[in-house]
Amino acid sequence: MTVTASDRAATWVIIAAYEEARSIGGVVQQLIADHWRVLVVDDGSDDATADAAQVAGAWVVRHDVNLGQGAALATGFAFAAADRSTRFVVTFDADGQHDAAAIPRMIAPLASGEFDVTLGSRFLDGEGFTGMPATRKALLRLATRLARLTTGLDLTDTHNGMRAFRGEVLERMIHRQDRMAHASEIQAEIARLGLRYREVAVRVTYTDYSLSKGQRLIDAVSILWDLLAAKAR
Amino acid sequence: MLPSQIVLLILVGLFAIYIFRLRSTTGDRVTYLGLAALGGALIIDPEFTNRVAARLGVGRGADLMFYFFIIFALFHFATTAATIRRLQRNLTELAQAQALAQPRPPAVMAPPRSPATPSA
Repeated sequence: MTVTASDRAATWVIIAAYEEARSIGGVVQQLIADHWRVLVVDDGSDDATADAAQVAGAWVVRHDVNLGQGAALATGFAFAAADRSTRFVVTFDADGQHDAAAIPRMIAPLASGEFDVTLGSRFLDGEGFTGMPATRKALLRLATRLARLTTGLDLTDTHNGMRAFRGEVLERMIHRQDRMAHASEIQAEIARLGLRYREVAVRVTYTDYSLSKGQRLIDAVSILWDLLAAKAR
Repeated sequence: MLPSQIVLLILVGLFAIYIFRLRSTTGDRVTYLGLAALGGALIIDPEFTNRVAARLGVGRGADLMFYFFIIFALFHFATTAATIRRLQRNLTELAQAQALAQPRPPAVMAPPRSPATPSA
């Protein structure tokens, strides 16, 4: 199963970016070189993130205030939904830790009509987490187990920023978590809507830069808090 | 009447005025003015709380007041948190609508397959 040029032209690669002026240009260029359409949602950055993305060849929409990654992706999804040519939407990290070469493997299961959603996993082939610190690995394993308990989804990696959706299922999903709890929300929505999903092995390269932008242990607490608050509503 | 009672009654009176100016719904006004009236009565007759506490088996009136205060504080925390969530949601929707109304196309020539402007 290969991804055709028309598949590429019907895909939006969405990047939520906050204060990523240092890395966003290179990330966008790499995607543009691979003939992807790129949308960068600048989540209220004070630096030149939006300009850097635009110059590198991306479409840009910009939040006037910082809302969080979940809200930024939701804005991107709405943008893609408004484009009638959209068939696939891929989410991609702004900090350069994802590999653009993995996108066709993410989309192929959707293009074949077999699946609605593909989720990137660092743990499928046992070597997808180059340079990942041990504490982060342990935290991710814990989050994965928790997600399995709450959603029943059979996943090996629950907090991977690389995901691909068929456009029409994306529109049926609810995106209400502004901050990092959106990852859990997406899984809950996959379970609620009974979407056909599978994981795809992706490699994530950890650098000092990407680690400094990533999740810390304390974030796990605030993610849990967001989810509990949502349940209580 | 003790000087401290006079001071406290003045504070309750100010609270009542504040409520009347700030709360516009009748329900809120009745609730908070009722609370203010109760506060006033408790200041004038401090023994009243002791009698009620004794009847409820709490012990001292001061303890009873403390328990009420905790319940009120929790209630206040919950309603404030709900208000903040609602405001956050409004802010999110506003900022998202604003963002989608002004999409910025690539500043350089993207590959020819680049899309037409989506009607966001």
